[in-house]
Amino acid sequence: MLELRKDIFADERDDNLKEIGKGTQRQDMLGHVTGTSSYFNDHKLQGMLHLKVVRSSHAHARIRRIDTAEAERSAGVRRIIRGADVPVNLNTLLSLINFGKDDEPSLAVDKVRYKGEPIVAIVADSEREAFEAVAKVKVDYEPLPAVFDVEDALKPGAPVVNETYPKNTFTYHEAYDHQKLRFGDADAALATADHVLEQRYQMSPIEHAPTETNGAIAAPDTNGRYVVYTSTQALFFSVDTCAKILDVPSNTFHFIGGTVGGGFGGKVDTLTEPLAILGAMLTGRPVRYVFGREEEMQYGPPRGAERIYIKDGVMRDGRVVARKIRCYFDSGAYTRLSSYAAVKCAAHLPGPYTIPNVYGDVYCVFTNRTPATAMRGFGVTAMDFAIECQMDKLANLVNMDPMEFRILNAYRDGDMKAHRREAKNTALIECVQVAAEKAKWPLREEFKRASSRKDGGGSRAVIPPTPADSSRTRPTAPAQQRTSYDRLPPTVTREPPREPPPPAPPPPSPRPAAPSHGATRFSSVFGTRRR
Amino acid sequence: MAVTVKTFTSASEAAGALSSDRSARYFGGGTLIMRALNEGDVAISTVVRAQDQALTRIEASGPRVTLGAGVTFARVLAERDLGFLHAPARSIGGPAVRNMGTVGGNLFAPNPYGDFTVALLALDATVTVAGGFGARDIPIEEFLQARERQTGTLVLSVSCTRPASTEAFRYRKIARIKPKGGSVITLAAHVPISGGRIAGARIALGSMAPTQIRARAAERALEGRSLDTASIAAAASAATEGTSPADNALGSAWYRREIVGVYLRRLLSGQE
Repeated sequence: MLELRKDIFADERDDNLKEIGKGTQRQDMLGHVTGTSSYFNDHKLQGMLHLKVVRSSHAHARIRRIDTAEAERSAGVRRIIRGADVPVNLNTLLSLINFGKDDEPSLAVDKVRYKGEPIVAIVADSEREAFEAVAKVKVDYEPLPAVFDVEDALKPGAPVVNETYPKNTFTYHEAYDHQKLRFGDADAALATADHVLEQRYQMSPIEHAPTETNGAIAAPDTNGRYVVYTSTQALFFSVDTCAKILDVPSNTFHFIGGTVGGGFGGKVDTLTEPLAILGAMLTGRPVRYVFGREEEMQYGPPRGAERIYIKDGVMRDGRVVARKIRCYFDSGAYTRLSSYAAVKCAAHLPGPYTIPNVYGDVYCVFTNRTPATAMRGFGVTAMDFAIECQMDKLANLVNMDPMEFRILNAYRDGDMKAHRREAKNTALIECVQVAAEKAKWPLREEFKRASSRKDGGGSRAVIPPTPADSSRTRPTAPAQQRTSYDRLPPTVTREPPREPPPPAPPPPSPRPAAPSHGATRFSSVFGTRRR
Repeated sequence: MAVTVKTFTSASEAAGALSSDRSARYFGGGTLIMRALNEGDVAISTVVRAQDQALTRIEASGPRVTLGAGVTFARVLAERDLGFLHAPARSIGGPAVRNMGTVGGNLFAPNPYGDFTVALLALDATVTVAGGFGARDIPIEEFLQARERQTGTLVLSVSCTRPASTEAFRYRKIARIKPKGGSVITLAAHVPISGGRIAGARIALGSMAPTQIRARAAERALEGRSLDTASIAAAASAATEGTSPADNALGSAWYRREIVGVYLRRLLSGQE
């Protein structure tokens, strides 16, 4: 449980959280409705220059030659920035928490991996002059075969999208090409189930479409620092990302954000800040880099598309006895946050239901599409859509009311979840009951009486015998990749991943007995790490 | 090179400035040209404006209706005498776009826009452009066929004959986002009925070709016949003839071909 030190933070929070059913004024609403909220782009600085990027016209191509001679002579051009000018021209966002390998350049050097990838940045006196110079840059491409389908990308001989991950899959714990969940024997249960239903679900990428497009203004400040007005929705994350890419301490920057003109996950990737600051460093002038609407829509990162296969076994009485899932996250050409999405997805299986046999394989796959990123519940929403479609279809298959079918299969307090954690504070049954009541949807008496607090645990708390995957020997997981931002002492290794889990009671929670500030803490996503 | 804005008091001066400069574009409401400039279209170096009163005139009292090229969709919607054009005007953009977007500019709007023009095409409109020696009238179909070459031409007004009855003119825009999404397809039909028979059928389609086009085969299927199930079915099945739709984010060419007949049948049979 979260402990708030009331002796220190007496005024920090009112614990009387009775808010439901009352109107509450949003703290930023007055500014928004009166047009007085200030956004990053409301700053017009003296001598401000404008940055625009040359983007790849190919989804996958080797760059033979970049000719900027004519662009350099173009009117108003102050500086042309190429990959070689970026101090650390390879990064991955989650390297800040030691997750994943650096795989994405700020400006492409040898190869472009998606249509619209930035290659050259031009800083000019006006946007118009920057655009004119962009049109004069000549890039000589050698087109390469591209792959746009997640399953095609996994086939032998598929084009290698990103050389950092030659198998076109993100590498977990430096050993695994996917996230795996095994609980009980799904295949055996499917073989004896009364009905088996297998379905395929294909999602599309979704653009966040913020009213304010991504952008930043960076300006030289005193003492060698830079002030940065930004649209970022993850300000401290962006500060550290810029510090890494530009190879300076993070206290070089004074980031000013606060008002985000629509984020929803589309403004965590820190796409504009590093180049805007670099432009300011190289010219000594304020530099503004803002996406146009088309850039935002076409090359701004979307929610990734998932392909999901679900195979369920259900008995005539309505009990779901097995759920087998294969899921492919389309990360696009670079990792950004999709590696994390796949982890979240695996952590969500098999949905809020107690199913005794669960089998899940979740892949984060690289293709030559626009890199995907965070968006509202990413990793979970698509899987939930698929699971709930599946639940409706299963209910229909066994001739049950879909609401009652969910109550029957819902997890209850004390049940064992597929991740070998006990279910606590479950409330799906109550949610379904309230939804049915509000919708005047008739439920039979026994389902009206059902409760998350009753009839859970017992045999439902048992971890079933789980066969090991025979085909695979467990590789020894080496230590996580280290970066300059890794504060772990080199001797500390991560707890090796348990795989496949033994048919035994769950190990005690690896959480340290007495957490102290700055000590190691356990994260279910990334494993043990030190803060 | 910076973008130059040239403002003239008379349309003829503006027309001269427009025709003498290949990089010049006329600024009507700015819904197309400002988007292009904001997105970095370096082909445009000069923006020409005209503050000529004649461009914003509406003549709607008689049987022949004339709209100045600078008339906005908001003004069309405010004009009670232009009721037959309210459906197409309302189908364009949101209130902000309708406040700025003009009848003349819509003639140049590429797919998936240009819905008002679909209605004008079905009404056999005439486009009046500024020429070297005064104004010149061009049938709208001819104007659209040569649209790519018209960027240096200043449109002064558009005129058409008011449909004989409200029933005779029908319009439908199919969009994924209502009410202001881009067009998947747009349909307009003028089917005047005289003595129980259709005389002078006009069917116009948007997003079914690089420009708005007439569905001549469908028109022929209706001409001289009564508007009944059989003639409507014949028109619907001929709707794709001569079309060349393209794929875009709103729909595939295949999808457009599949649905155009369905929606034409619904439009002609008065179904919602």
